Amino acid sequence: MSESIAAYDPSVDAAAHHHPVYDYDSGPPVERGKFAIWLFLATEVMFFSGLIGAYIVLRTAAAEWPDPTKVLAVDITAFNTFVLITSSWLMVKSLFAAEAGDKGGILKWLGLTILGGSLFVGIQIYEYIELVKHGALPHANIFWSTFYLTTGFHGFHVIVGVIWLICAWFAALRGKYSPKNYLGLELAGLYWHFVDLVWVLLFTIIYLF
Amino acid sequence: MSDGKHFDANKVFIGLFIFTALEVAWGYLGHGWNKPMLWGGLLFFAFLKAWLIAVYFMHLKFEGWVIYSLLLPTPFLVLVIFGYVLPDVANQGDDNNLIHPIGSRFEKDTGRVEEVMIWSKDEGGGH
Repeated sequence: MSESIAAYDPSVDAAAHHHPVYDYDSGPPVERGKFAIWLFLATEVMFFSGLIGAYIVLRTAAAEWPDPTKVLAVDITAFNTFVLITSSWLMVKSLFAAEAGDKGGILKWLGLTILGGSLFVGIQIYEYIELVKHGALPHANIFWSTFYLTTGFHGFHVIVGVIWLICAWFAALRGKYSPKNYLGLELAGLYWHFVDLVWVLLFTIIYLF
Repeated sequence: MSDGKHFDANKVFIGLFIFTALEVAWGYLGHGWNKPMLWGGLLFFAFLKAWLIAVYFMHLKFEGWVIYSLLLPTPFLVLVIFGYVLPDVANQGDDNNLIHPIGSRFEKDTGRVEEVMIWSKDEGGGH
């Protein structure tokens, strides 16, 4: 059975059955991986829109809502926002290095991106610990419930992104990326930028509104 | 993969940096202002940054019709989501009729949240 599959030649089969032989790729005119990641990111937009929509309803419907700038550490989180934006920029630098075939550059910029992402997660964990110490638990009231839900889900996305970037770093170390093929790195980058983009909106809505 | 996709990432980064600083300053200074002005400014900076990230860092500017057609329904679906929640937001009057949780009402006299959601038509009017 396996031999017959291995020996299968579509052109022979087509001639025998009077079928034309197509030598083009029947997929969309874009890399399948990129198509898939954008489709995934579109669903992620829906996911975060649902969370933000729920947040807006609950906030506008609440009898009282604290001033976020008074109960949250906006200065630390603003710094964290700078960290994530910087890591996004470093990710672009690593892609430029991949385009140039600079393996050392990929490892350097991607490594710094991973450090930035890890720092973001570390600061967020520190923020959570400090809040919990002050009695701000998720079940305390609807403000803290929505706060932990939205920022927690985003934090989970950042952790997934960091793991993905670490995998990409090891792939780069093995020399998997070349100027003609660095799609894997580009896909990881797209996800990472999306995580950054979502944070830009969440930071505004949760911390500054 | 890389043809024609070059842009000055440093300029975009500096832009993001400056807009974030302005946004935080707006958020701190604007809490004495009226809400539309505060929220309008914050949303302006947030969407400006999101646009920079999507268009340049995520290369949307350089993508073709396939990716655009893939993403085109997304804003409409987001509008649908917000369309569903809009009535709950819009129903907020001066007397704060509709208070969390949805289907409940804040009673000013007692200061309590009362359930008003009725699940069965037999129980009085339906929902």
